[in-house]
Amino acid sequence: MSLILRTTLPDFDYLLPSSLDELLALKAKYGERAAVIAGGTVLLNLIRLGFRYDYVIDIKGVRELSAIEYREGKGLVIGAAVTLRDLENNEVVRDKYRVLWDAVRQIGDFHLRNRATIGGNICNPTLQADTIAPLAVLGASIEISSMRGSRRVAIWELVKEGGGLLLDPDEILTRIYIPEPPKGSRGAYFKVWWIAGIAALAANIDNPRERIVRIAYSFAPSPKLVEGVERIFRQEKPLKVLIGDAINYIKTIVTPPSDARASREYREHLVEFGTAYLLRKLLGVEV
Amino acid sequence: MSSEFRYVGQPVKRFDVDKVYGGALFASDIELPGMLWIKLVSAPYSHARIKRIDCSEALKIPGVVAVFTGEDFPYKVGIYAADRDVLARGKVLYYGHPIAAVVAESLDIAEKAAETIDAEFEPLPAVLSIEEALSPRAPVIHERLGEYRRASFINPVPGTNIANRVKLRKGDAQKAMEDVDVVVEETYRSDPQSHAYMETWAGAATIRSDGTVEVWSSHQSPFAVRNLLAMSLGLPVSKIVVHHLYTGGGFGGKAGLLLEHIPVLISMKLGGRPVFLQLNREENFYYMAQKPGFLFKMKTGATKDGKLVFHIGEYYLDAGAYADYTVNVIRSSTFMATGPYEIPHIHVDGYAVYTNKVPTTAFRGFGILELTASFEQQMDILAEKLGIDPIEFRLKNALKPGVSITPTQEVLAEDAGDPAGVIRRAAELIGYHIPPQRSEEPWKVRGKGIAAAWKGPVQPPNAASSAIVKLNEDGSVDVLVGTGEFGQGTIIALAQIVAEELGIPVEKVRISPYRSTDLVPYTWQTVGSRGLYSDGQALIRALQDLKDQIKEVAARAFNVFKDEVEIRDGKACVVGKHSECIPLERLALGYTFPSGETIHGPIIGRGSHVPSGTTYLDPETGKGNPKPFVTFVAGGVEVEVDLVTMQVRVLKAVLVTDARIINPGLAEGQAYGGILMGIGLALKEAIGFDEIGALRNPSFLEYRLPRVEDMPVEMIFESLNVPQRNAPYGAKGIGELTALPWQAAIANAIYRAIGVRVKEYPITPERLLKAVKEQRPDILTELRKIMVGV
Amino acid sequence: MRISLTVNGVKRVVDVKPNERLLDVLRYRLGIKSVRAGCLVGDCGICTVIVDGKLVKSCLVLAAEANGSNIVTVEGLSTNMRPSPVQRAFVESFGYQCGYCTPAFVLTAHWITENMVNASDEEIARVLNSVVCRCTGYKQIVDSVKLALKWRREGGER
Repeated sequence: MSLILRTTLPDFDYLLPSSLDELLALKAKYGERAAVIAGGTVLLNLIRLGFRYDYVIDIKGVRELSAIEYREGKGLVIGAAVTLRDLENNEVVRDKYRVLWDAVRQIGDFHLRNRATIGGNICNPTLQADTIAPLAVLGASIEISSMRGSRRVAIWELVKEGGGLLLDPDEILTRIYIPEPPKGSRGAYFKVWWIAGIAALAANIDNPRERIVRIAYSFAPSPKLVEGVERIFRQEKPLKVLIGDAINYIKTIVTPPSDARASREYREHLVEFGTAYLLRKLLGVEV
Repeated sequence: MSSEFRYVGQPVKRFDVDKVYGGALFASDIELPGMLWIKLVSAPYSHARIKRIDCSEALKIPGVVAVFTGEDFPYKVGIYAADRDVLARGKVLYYGHPIAAVVAESLDIAEKAAETIDAEFEPLPAVLSIEEALSPRAPVIHERLGEYRRASFINPVPGTNIANRVKLRKGDAQKAMEDVDVVVEETYRSDPQSHAYMETWAGAATIRSDGTVEVWSSHQSPFAVRNLLAMSLGLPVSKIVVHHLYTGGGFGGKAGLLLEHIPVLISMKLGGRPVFLQLNREENFYYMAQKPGFLFKMKTGATKDGKLVFHIGEYYLDAGAYADYTVNVIRSSTFMATGPYEIPHIHVDGYAVYTNKVPTTAFRGFGILELTASFEQQMDILAEKLGIDPIEFRLKNALKPGVSITPTQEVLAEDAGDPAGVIRRAAELIGYHIPPQRSEEPWKVRGKGIAAAWKGPVQPPNAASSAIVKLNEDGSVDVLVGTGEFGQGTIIALAQIVAEELGIPVEKVRISPYRSTDLVPYTWQTVGSRGLYSDGQALIRALQDLKDQIKEVAARAFNVFKDEVEIRDGKACVVGKHSECIPLERLALGYTFPSGETIHGPIIGRGSHVPSGTTYLDPETGKGNPKPFVTFVAGGVEVEVDLVTMQVRVLKAVLVTDARIINPGLAEGQAYGGILMGIGLALKEAIGFDEIGALRNPSFLEYRLPRVEDMPVEMIFESLNVPQRNAPYGAKGIGELTALPWQAAIANAIYRAIGVRVKEYPITPERLLKAVKEQRPDILTELRKIMVGV
Repeated sequence: MRISLTVNGVKRVVDVKPNERLLDVLRYRLGIKSVRAGCLVGDCGICTVIVDGKLVKSCLVLAAEANGSNIVTVEGLSTNMRPSPVQRAFVESFGYQCGYCTPAFVLTAHWITENMVNASDEEIARVLNSVVCRCTGYKQIVDSVKLALKWRREGGER
């Protein structure tokens, strides 16, 4: 037994398919022996520090995976290889999908967002899956593709405990679908390093019966959507009171982990006061 | 400084512009023809006997030249105590302790081969904290401690884990305890922290056919590397050449010998082939020494009128597996004992303690960071208990030059500086007595804090410097000094002095940043804020010598007496006669009379300096004079505590020093750099260990450094410009001083903001939350009321 | 595998291995020594280069991924031995000390002057936040960037 702290990357072959079919064929052929590289900002760290693959398949050659498409009323389709910079610069994302935009611009740093992709953040959330909580409150689904075909599922269904997606060895995350957000909705993301992220979305604030408030948590790297918050906010009480009710409810549901980066106690503090901060900001409630 | 000088005191631009334009060379950039790469293999145990290291598979890999283990290199390495094996022998002393070195044609091959090395260990009980190390039942980490070569002033305690024990005794502290009205007894701690210089360590070595060992490496002090290589490996100094290129930051972490012995010894084994070792960041955390964690216990008493009477301290540094400079760092903490204040009765015991953790060494501030982080909280706590304003309390007890007796029982020199002045000015600049403006967000609370410090270079009494100045035939000069360039820009300040003395444009002064020990004159080390002061004095003497020769030659040319010649504007002139001048270029190679007769030959000035009056210290009391000069600083901050995240942001920082400044642009750079480093050490940076002693965060992803976002909105740096006698233009060092006040100033400001005192650094959100819950749970109750409505 | 890169305006064809980083290919195969490793995890930003007009941390890019791209390093900012205004601004404002992170900051500043001439202090900080400097405390680096922007807006260095 010995400790080696590597500088060089171990050997692998680099493959650059130019079409989706070719990509899926390669993934079908090599399965778990092949890693997918989009931005590489996480993968190359994993490889240097111990993960071993025989093949690294670059999906940037597949054009459609780098596209963002928005159709009024239908929503947004984001290719897995779309960079965080492209999302940050996209006006539709900024204006309509604010919670996602707000989360994206807090990931990594300016330079890293030129490379890092949304697909990478979803599939390789070793640090913190900052896009998953926003996608959850937006009701996003993801497209998983393989030679066997494509399937579309709610993002929540495939998120593994501890991060990452439950995919078969031949499968690849290809697209993210986000429905048209509720009219006039607002969103914001609260983040403390790789300790906690809180995504919140609100719409129809002034009308209790149609009021929408959704909230999701991401504790590096495990995300959690809190169902039931929406119900609380449908009550005809002052918003201030509802925020208190919601937080007390959330405190019973959300049990953050303890790890090397933060204790459960500190995360619980963030859940309580971070949520209060975020909801007040979002709902326009003065302290 | 006033405009009496043309260059000294001016913000002359740095001339090491190749760092900006491209072309700068660092040790990491070295590529020697035919160079082999070294990869270190280390142990995943904190303390274990090595049972077996099997290198056979590695040796079969094509491109692998050799594999070495500890037994190949039976040398002990170290500066003040030779406690370090080249590669572990017999047992490993910390998690990450190198046990083998693979040498191969490429790094890629070396790393692949390294992964095949199979080692077997028998774990031993490990010592992972200062308290454990001091326990009578603790395993002894260095069993042969008493046999190590060591400096005369280092006192290890064989049979224990005490690497050095230091005593300071002034007056009678025990007795004085009866004469006080208020006593404060506290314990302060810090995690180990990292220099985190940007250039990880790299070094190359080769042996020339005449047997000369050549080394290129990332270091602060080329002559220290040469000296320690010679001492540790038994090589003659005459057979070692150390090359200094640019060094990508040091902060004390590259002060002495780093890992140069590894490539040197490997090259010697391989017939002199050039070999290269470059650490990546993770390796740098494990293989290079870090800043020790500390545990300082303090008991301090004062009378109710606010006079400090006694101070009793037990200061411990967690030296890790190898103590390097740390055995001397604890001397510095102990002998400066009580900060810039006079206390008649002092009793401090200082200890550097071995543990099974990463090795430690010097860090910018050399023991005074730890002292200031602790003692300046102690001062605020005392002031509060006494009901006296903290500034008034500090001023009342501040050292008085020419009057006060220092902890080492010397009268503080009259020209020592202005301790009270820096405190007063820092308080003014931060607006200490003006309440901070309230934040618009009620969960953000602001407070102001202050801390003061003093420091001088902690060096042996014979720490010498020398300089050579050559006059060139175009009237320019080449200056040869041993000063290391790792960012401070001391060589720019030195060039300003040369330009000033000779009255020539600073552009005509060349000081190469690259140097080799066989080509430049000696300087002891570039550490302890001593470069400008010590090398500067040697340089001034060299310039006097040079000018003396110029005058001698010019006097003969003019046929006047030597004292009738003056040097101004790059010319030698007869005093009072503007028309009778000879430009220096015509004197550079001597003077040629119209007849062709030539006198003197090339003009070269040389100068030496060694501090006068510094002594070894009495081992029982610490009495003596440990430092050639001291600098005083005070820093003030305004912080904002975010109770939602428990993050602390420094909004404003002010730093006041008493030192005279040669180049305000460079000095400001030191100041801002010191402030940000201080913010990191105060709030963010900690090396963490898991339960078996492995590093939790040997990477920049999780060892968090200050970034642009951590910059205070406002930073002010001011100097009182008090001249130091026997110093170049009255200047003294400030490099380390700028980093000293921040930990305590921030802790004090947090206390004044929310009434919560955190005595353990760094003050992370996690620690602050814990302290709030313990000390002021009402704050959270109140916050809950306004934010959650419960 | 063989790739081609345009580095500082010059087309370079180079044989690389699939597991080689752009950082190492620039340093060791093309001799561009201003691009240096700091942490190899994409945090410190010392290895920053401009790839196809974007600031990129070259320790987290495979050379193979950069095939066909246009790369600018600090060496490419000077023309005919004359440093660019951005480089001169760093000298003017004492925007560097040990010099190890300097190429990364200079390239970042260069990108800012090319793409965000009217950037606010906050926007400048957001971009500069990608690179770590241990020496300067950033103040004089920020000053350098602002000076370069001012020169740029005023149409040249005064």
